[in-house]
Amino acid sequence: MVSSFFPSQKENVVYKLEKAKLDNFLGIIAEGRELYALERAESQYHLVRSDAWQAGKHTLGAFRQVEPLKALVFRPRELLGSLGGAAPDEHIPERIVIGAKNCDVAALKIHDYVFLNTAPVDPVYKEAREKTIIVSCDCTDACEVCFCPAVKEQPYPKAGFDVNLSPTDLGYVVEAGSERGKQLLKKAESLLSAADAAILKARDQNRQELCKKVCAQTEKMGLACGADLRQAVEKSQGKKIWDDFAEDCVECGACNLICCTCHCFLLADGKGKNGANYRVKQWDSCLYRNFAAVAGGANPRRHRAERLYNRFDKKFSFFPQVLGSYACEGCGRCVEACTGKIDIREVLKRAVNEL
Amino acid sequence: MSCNPYMPMPAKLENVVRETANIKTFLVRPAKPLAFKAGQFIALTVPGIGEAPFTPSSSPTVSEKIEITIMRVGRVTEKLHALEPGADLAIRGPLGQPYPLEKYYGREVLIVGGGVGLAPLRALLFALFEDMGKYKKIFIRYGAKTPADIVYRKAVEDGWGRKEMDVMISVDKRDADWKGNEGVVTKILAPDKLKCNPSEGVAVVCGPPIMMKFATLELLHLGYAPENIYLSMEKNMSCGIGKCGHCRLGPYYACKDGPVFSFDRIKNLPKIWD
Repeated sequence: MVSSFFPSQKENVVYKLEKAKLDNFLGIIAEGRELYALERAESQYHLVRSDAWQAGKHTLGAFRQVEPLKALVFRPRELLGSLGGAAPDEHIPERIVIGAKNCDVAALKIHDYVFLNTAPVDPVYKEAREKTIIVSCDCTDACEVCFCPAVKEQPYPKAGFDVNLSPTDLGYVVEAGSERGKQLLKKAESLLSAADAAILKARDQNRQELCKKVCAQTEKMGLACGADLRQAVEKSQGKKIWDDFAEDCVECGACNLICCTCHCFLLADGKGKNGANYRVKQWDSCLYRNFAAVAGGANPRRHRAERLYNRFDKKFSFFPQVLGSYACEGCGRCVEACTGKIDIREVLKRAVNEL
Repeated sequence: MSCNPYMPMPAKLENVVRETANIKTFLVRPAKPLAFKAGQFIALTVPGIGEAPFTPSSSPTVSEKIEITIMRVGRVTEKLHALEPGADLAIRGPLGQPYPLEKYYGREVLIVGGGVGLAPLRALLFALFEDMGKYKKIFIRYGAKTPADIVYRKAVEDGWGRKEMDVMISVDKRDADWKGNEGVVTKILAPDKLKCNPSEGVAVVCGPPIMMKFATLELLHLGYAPENIYLSMEKNMSCGIGKCGHCRLGPYYACKDGPVFSFDRIKNLPKIWD
């Protein structure tokens, strides 16, 4: 099961779910699992933990929530154990996420590559991944900062989900994307019917329209969808663009922490109140001055501009080289989180324009 | 033992030897034998304080006890230097890739060390000693700041008792008793001091970044091919297994793909000497 949470493209089984049956359906499939669902707060969505699907409180959401999904499988701070002692006796419960959007789902490719598909396997990540069922949902709208078409993504998932829901005027298209997704749907079989041509057409039309909308808002920013970002970033190395944008960077690391793909972490040791020596694995930020510094004093990225460039280099050059895809899904969270108001779209636009 | 790759196994500090004013060799006994190959490294933990990467300096044929020569330079090494034999440590490894010794067979091997950089090269030397007949000749060119900064001084001066080795030492700054070479290590790489055949030989370099840079330039100038110059890249490492992101060097992670790289693999990457 671990070998790939991203099976190659194939014809998945699709069903139709009537609108009125949605809450019932979600209640059934979430039953017996710890649930993570979206809740609306003003113009945003938050990922909240719950015991059961609550109609009216929980929603599928029109676009991605504030919190990156990665936090469920790659926790901000994870106790690895005490030195010489047993591993922490802490088990991840069987969980289900409902309402995840494509950016977050696609980002798990990056984490899978790092923690699962490159030896040695990270056992806690593996357990978290295996115990987390992902019920994703097509975006039905975009937030202002969304730009997924610029990074070869789209506002609906093509892989990486167990079940995906596509809202349409005619009801929901329900697609099983994995074996366990198929099994899960069996629990709610009685609520599903075969998807007909009309609803599939409605789904495809919705998808196309939203793609157009996100593409238009991205291009309105001056960032062309389909531009070669790898080449643009690689060629920009050492140029003034990075000095200019770094002027606004305050090295808070918010962009890394909120990013759905950033995976860097630090192993840190300490002494607990009981005197035991422990080790934690915690999120780190490559914008921090000493991220790459060695004890002897050398620092390959002494200047902030170099660190800012490094972030883009990792996303748009390193990952295309090792994995064949950008480590950016266009979620725009870093745009919202940046204290210095650095907009990744503006940075990429300038890199492309200066090619 | 934990199967979590981020967690070390317990180890005991058995002995400490002072090499210079700020360098000590620590004899560490892991709870279970830890087999490594020359060039691979380990992560040593001072419990409750932190972990840092080091390349062992002892023979890779011995896995029950490992010697690690460490300069006092940062937070973890400061604590290490304050420890007495009997102290509890923890160790993780082996990590990284070994020297590709089979590529050195039948060739002259030039070992260029700077300061405490001779420590990992000592493990390589011990590995070469296991099979001396396989190598055409071994040269050692070692540079230290002053005579008092020479690590393993007696052994180096004596060429580890191997008469067939060609050993030369230089110090940046001599003292009253020093009769040997003076100047940076590249001075003893000059053709009049190094009678070897660069175009067919391999060179292995370890030392501080500035020394590595100038030694590499000199070796290229002498005629060593970039693919025959092996460099130990010192980078900030945390996990040691290619996951945490700290030691990235272009498309590589120094911990997983290195820490030893032939120069041709990294020569076009920016800021490799910093």
